[in-house]
Amino acid sequence: MLQARGLTKRYGGLLALDRVSFELHPGEIVGYLGPNGSGKSTTVNLVVGLLEPSAGDISLSGIRLSDDPIAYKRQLGYVPEEPSLYAHLTASDYLMLVGRLRRMPTAVLHKRVPELLRLLQLHDSRYKTMTAFSKGMRQRVLVASALLHNPQLLVLDEPFSGLDVNAGLLLRTLLRTLADEGRMILFSTHRFDMVEKLCSRVIVLSSGRVVVERRVADFARDGPDSLEDTFVRATMQPEFAPLARQIIDTIEGA
Amino acid sequence: MRDSPEVVLTRHFFASLFDFGFLSDDGAESLKRALLGSLAVALALGGLLVRVFMAKYSELSSGPYDAYQQAALADHSFLMAVPMWFVAAAMGLVGESLFPNQLDFRILMAEPLSRPMIFGAKLAALLLFGGLFVAGTHVALAPLAALTMLGMFKAGSFVGPATAFAVSSALASFFAALAIVGVHGVLVLFAPRARLVAFSGAVRSVTIGGLLLALPLVARLPAADRAFAADAWWLRLAPPAWFVGLERWLVGDLRFSALAALAAIGTVGVLVVSVGSYVLLYRRFDRVTLQPAVSRRADASDRSLARWSGRAPVQHAIGRFIAITIRRSPLHQGLVVGLLAAAGGFVLNSFLNASGWHDPTETRQKRALINTLLWAPMTMAFLAIPAMRLAMWIPLDLRANWVFRLTEDEAGRAEVAAANLRAVWALAVVVPMTLIGPLQWLMLGPSAFGVLIVEMSIGWLLVEWAMAGWQRIPFTCSYLPGKGFVPHMFVKGFASFVFFSTASVLVLRISLARPIATIAFAAVFSGTAGLLAVLRARHARESPLIFEDELPTDVNPLRLNAD
Repeated sequence: MLQARGLTKRYGGLLALDRVSFELHPGEIVGYLGPNGSGKSTTVNLVVGLLEPSAGDISLSGIRLSDDPIAYKRQLGYVPEEPSLYAHLTASDYLMLVGRLRRMPTAVLHKRVPELLRLLQLHDSRYKTMTAFSKGMRQRVLVASALLHNPQLLVLDEPFSGLDVNAGLLLRTLLRTLADEGRMILFSTHRFDMVEKLCSRVIVLSSGRVVVERRVADFARDGPDSLEDTFVRATMQPEFAPLARQIIDTIEGA
Repeated sequence: MRDSPEVVLTRHFFASLFDFGFLSDDGAESLKRALLGSLAVALALGGLLVRVFMAKYSELSSGPYDAYQQAALADHSFLMAVPMWFVAAAMGLVGESLFPNQLDFRILMAEPLSRPMIFGAKLAALLLFGGLFVAGTHVALAPLAALTMLGMFKAGSFVGPATAFAVSSALASFFAALAIVGVHGVLVLFAPRARLVAFSGAVRSVTIGGLLLALPLVARLPAADRAFAADAWWLRLAPPAWFVGLERWLVGDLRFSALAALAAIGTVGVLVVSVGSYVLLYRRFDRVTLQPAVSRRADASDRSLARWSGRAPVQHAIGRFIAITIRRSPLHQGLVVGLLAAAGGFVLNSFLNASGWHDPTETRQKRALINTLLWAPMTMAFLAIPAMRLAMWIPLDLRANWVFRLTEDEAGRAEVAAANLRAVWALAVVVPMTLIGPLQWLMLGPSAFGVLIVEMSIGWLLVEWAMAGWQRIPFTCSYLPGKGFVPHMFVKGFASFVFFSTASVLVLRISLARPIATIAFAAVFSGTAGLLAVLRARHARESPLIFEDELPTDVNPLRLNAD
């Protein structure tokens, strides 16, 4: 189980995250929603151990991140928001690098890397450096690198960004199957449709605080109790119709 | 006019040339300041050169006119070589941007801009860029050029020779620029797309490396007066000499017609290739730039440096990462090749000064030559080790280093340190010793083998010492330059260099004379290096890897008041 208790993060005088707590159980996919600047990426960076919290702690399967970060990180796979990877490497180079850094046996890597590349339709491009890769292709490489060591927890920051329809459907099915087998998935996104189709629970963040935490099944399909309307209300978003009108007036004006 | 698309596009291409295609925004901004600074340095150096040459020309002015003219020829070859060098270096650095590329195609062809406008703007930007370097270096050297021509008043004319020099020198710079354009043009048109970036980076590195190695040769041109007098064979291999031949031909002196012909043929040749590749690319822009890249298998040479990194998984991963980055990142490859070439140029200069190659017995010259042969690899290693460390410090893509931060563990830290050490050892110690080893074998015979063993053990010790406490994964840590006090670093570096080069030559001399000393020295240095290796591994396990460079926490008081 992933447990985050009282997570707080300050950047100088700016409070980016304010006492955020949540749990993630085996077999669960939790959607993490929030407008830009709400603290989503900060939470993800804290959960994967790239940032240290100003207060609060995180543990995974009983291992506290602050006590044993190495053992903690061994259990997780991460797909960052931006496809940040070393683009001068080939996809195969990159996965071998990640596998070796995780101390996976070479024989396993030689078997698993080409197979993952083939399954994610990257096999034909395996000898190209990733400078020539589209965003979707880079995203698939990151998904492969997150899955390579068969982790217990997957932390995904906008994993569908740039993926084509087929790759998106494959990833959705893959995540559902991984959860059915007992893995935990924390899924940060802006897409309501994906959360509705994929997640069992949703956490909505606004200005660094959790403003909604509910089972996805409890939201109505449409109307004021839908996920979308709840989100807009909880995060105090402006009225969009007048804003759209203003934009059109601006471009049509002299 | 200022905001017309042509002007805006030219300005855009011109400005983007200054990031040399591989620098970040901050890096490009720093480079612009550095270039402006170097222009000021060039002007000051021009003044200094006048001071240096003043004595020579005051003496020549009272001597016979032939001697003066002979010296002036050699100096003119130097005066033409310097702008050629600068222009070639600048064009070499922007090699990938000499032609409109795929990015230009994708962005600009989608805008309402015609192909002639894009190509025209690119050419105009290149002309401005090249022109800036040609004009800057010629202005800096103009006082010296004037000094070398003052004596021509004696022969009754100044305007004619001065014009001939100016035309020849400008053509020489034009030749240098076009030669680089031509090479890149051929590359863009004929290199496979999958390898274009790699080839382009390699050509850039080779160009910069070659130019740095040529520096000692350029510096020696003022002493080539006898070669001009004897019409030496090697002048035909030296492009600056061709244009001196052209200068003489323009004033009616036909002694150097052969050189003048080479200048003409060379210039026309590179002009044809450059213009031809521009025209071909213009006509086949879409086909060339959008040609699909064909996948290729990673070849065995991709793993050359990685082989040095051992079998431990993290060590192997980091070794391979270093090897691939140096092969594929133009910035890092350029830095490694450039810095190694600079060290090589320094050593080459010593070899050019040495004589006694053909002395059969032990003479003073031969002893000096042997000392140079022993000194050269140690000096190259001494200069190359910090250079390699610097190249490994420059970050590649800081956002991507999360993968290393997520997978760091205690044993891995020691393996990272070992991989770093082996990479520096391979490039900064083994490469110089392999390059100079055959020369040592030629001069010293089988004794060279013993020398090599001692050199390798000193090299190992030096690398262990230089890399102690370097807790970083190469190319993944931010870099803050200027953390040390520069004059202090300079003095310390110079003193270390003098001590190291003197002591190592002494040790190698003793090893050469007594084989038992070879074994003793090798054992002592290897033993010390081994001890440092154990300490390094222990320290590495305990210290987390650094991904954020920090300014020193100690405050250096300026002591501006009397207290």
